[in-house]
Amino acid sequence: MAKAVGIDLGTTNSVVAVMEGGQPTVMINSEGSRLTPSVVAFTKTGERLVGQIAKRQSVLNAENTIYSAKRFIGRRYSEVQSEIKNVPYKVVAGPNDAVRFEIAGKQYAPEEISAQVLRKLVDDASKYLGEKVNDAVITVPAYFNDAQRQATKDAGKIAGLNVLRIINEPTAAALAYGLDKKKNETILVFDLGGGTFDVSILDVGDGVFEVQATSGDTHLGGDDFDKRIVDWVAQEFQRDQGIDLRKDRQSLQRLIEAAEKAKIELSSAVEATISLPFITADASGPKHLEMKLTRAKFEQLTTDLVERCISPVKQALSDAKITERDIDEVILVGGATRTPAVQALVRRLTGGKEPNQSVNPDEVVAVGAAIQAGVLSGEVKNVVLLDVTPLSLGVETLGGVMTKLIERNTTVPTRKSETFSTADDNQSAVDIHVLQGERELARDNRTLGHFRLEGIRPAPRGVPQVEVTYDIDANGILTVTAKDKESGKEQKITISGSTQLSKDEIDRMVADAQAHSEEDRRRREEVEARNNADSMAYQVERQLHDLGDRVPLNEKARAEQLITQIRELVKNNSSDLARLRQLTGDLQQVAYGLSSSAASQQSSQSGRPGGTSGPQGGDDDVIDAEFTEK
Amino acid sequence: METADQEKDRTTGNDSTEIDRLKEELQREHEMYLRALADYDNYRRRVERERSAAARSGKRELILQLLDVLDGFDRALQHIGDAPSSVSEGVQLLYRKLLSVLEAQGVTPMQSLGETFNPELHDAIGTVKSEDAEPGTVAEEMQRGYRWGNDLLRPARVRVAL
Repeated sequence: MAKAVGIDLGTTNSVVAVMEGGQPTVMINSEGSRLTPSVVAFTKTGERLVGQIAKRQSVLNAENTIYSAKRFIGRRYSEVQSEIKNVPYKVVAGPNDAVRFEIAGKQYAPEEISAQVLRKLVDDASKYLGEKVNDAVITVPAYFNDAQRQATKDAGKIAGLNVLRIINEPTAAALAYGLDKKKNETILVFDLGGGTFDVSILDVGDGVFEVQATSGDTHLGGDDFDKRIVDWVAQEFQRDQGIDLRKDRQSLQRLIEAAEKAKIELSSAVEATISLPFITADASGPKHLEMKLTRAKFEQLTTDLVERCISPVKQALSDAKITERDIDEVILVGGATRTPAVQALVRRLTGGKEPNQSVNPDEVVAVGAAIQAGVLSGEVKNVVLLDVTPLSLGVETLGGVMTKLIERNTTVPTRKSETFSTADDNQSAVDIHVLQGERELARDNRTLGHFRLEGIRPAPRGVPQVEVTYDIDANGILTVTAKDKESGKEQKITISGSTQLSKDEIDRMVADAQAHSEEDRRRREEVEARNNADSMAYQVERQLHDLGDRVPLNEKARAEQLITQIRELVKNNSSDLARLRQLTGDLQQVAYGLSSSAASQQSSQSGRPGGTSGPQGGDDDVIDAEFTEK
Repeated sequence: METADQEKDRTTGNDSTEIDRLKEELQREHEMYLRALADYDNYRRRVERERSAAARSGKRELILQLLDVLDGFDRALQHIGDAPSSVSEGVQLLYRKLLSVLEAQGVTPMQSLGETFNPELHDAIGTVKSEDAEPGTVAEEMQRGYRWGNDLLRPARVRVAL
């Protein structure tokens, strides 16, 4: 079946995505990039260039290179006077006051230009997928009127596409976050792209989105932020060196790139270095540029730009007749929303709500369009939805630790087994405590069930082998089986609804685990240190017992002293990690000594070399997750 | 007798429809199973492919950053005339060393000067009036272009003759 794609036809850049195996994927173009500049050029030899290649020749051919066609599509010539001033190509009035671009004496409609961009996107998508693409969902800004929507649809037709639907960009963004499943929510979409800023307020209910209000600034975007850095650096350099870098195109180009890089760095770091060796030269020789830009300085340079976002947000809220408290979800779209100051502003304007930003903000619109395309073409319906376990499942082991058998987000059906042993000599039964949750210690997790496997044959600790199997079927029903490998005795428990927790409950448990991760890790380390110490004490005790009076008295006394000290610490649940590890290490040294001195005694007695019966290598052979008998 | 036979026929009839139904269901289930297997197989292959592509794209990022350093050498060498010759030799050496590291990775510099401007390979940042160069050809190379294997790694940044 033919694939349907989702296209974010942007003012500066466009993105195309598709549903693959139930997941949206952004496709790369023939130049290897996920973004395709929305630029079309007509060369003097009559060739048409689209995308990055068109952009590269634009300075040579500015009057025949069309960018920002989206600012003109579906509009009347009389409406676009202010836009015409900003572009180097010729815009004229066509029939019925329509906008036309005049290129080499020939007139082109904006939809014909957009069609070229769409054609390239779809051709590259076909190459990526290895099959022909005909069907597409295309996005438009929420404020587009009927004429603009119709013209965008026509662009699709001109490109030979079957346009399944035209959807709003903020709606696509909401789809990408699965918000169509929400009941009666209000969503604010904050879209700060390369050159445009849009705010939309949507209502969602029964899978239908309704645009309540839109606002924005058609000439505000990430490029303005870059320009502020460029100007600042250039002014500083001019003050020091007396040369204006903006006058030389090559220097300016390097500076623009460095400024954008610094801006991106400042989204995660508090300081960025702009380093441009040999940026220019004068009679005295070459000049270098090296400047530090702190995030604070960057924010100071761009305060007014960030503040220009405020009034459109307030306007949209008041048009929708709501206040910030009525907003349930906030979505960030556009690369410039990665700027920390912008994010802080959005939080401030939306009552401190944490915005959705896990999907790449440059791609979220195309991703949403792809999801819509998948639904409309039936692709999404055909996908068998496989459930995942929302939380990890495990068993309690020695020291009250939770040992995970099935990690959270594992796709079901699934089955995992692990072999455990006993914690005491002659332990005849093991308790299986079935747990669910993300915390390290058993007591912090949820108990799903308990059972007991009895009839284990008396044996030293660590010898019996109990195989514990967790099996979750496709319906989320968990069966836990414990089997004594020696006797074949088996006991099981079935727990239904292990996956049926409310989303809030799951979120709370996961957040809890994150909040306590440091503390939990420490506590787990303590338990492990105590377990190791205890296990070492046990082994050495057995060794002493086995070797009997072949052990020199002083060594025996030393070993016994260490064992007593360890037992005392373990009994008191000591959290003195350093001391536990120290004593365990000391005891291990003593154990090595014991086995070698016993061996030399043995060899002197029987003349046979070798014959050690030392501890079974500390950590390696011993299964450190053992059950305690309760 | 007759009624008993009919009875028996009906039972067998029911049995055979049941068998048909089950056969059909088995067939359907089997198909789904095969489909899942195929999906998995395709997925595995794609992951394999994407892993190598991801490795390549990760490397590409690094190489592009190294080209930035190489550009610095290019520019330094343009000014090297005034420096003592031992310093200039040293810088030349460093430059060639970095270039050979990149060449070992399959990165090759492109010759752009004098070529006809081609936006597939060249990024035009301006024009110049030139006596020597043919109009429409690359008159000045501001930043060298590079290939990586058969792919364009970075276009050359050029001025084109008017």
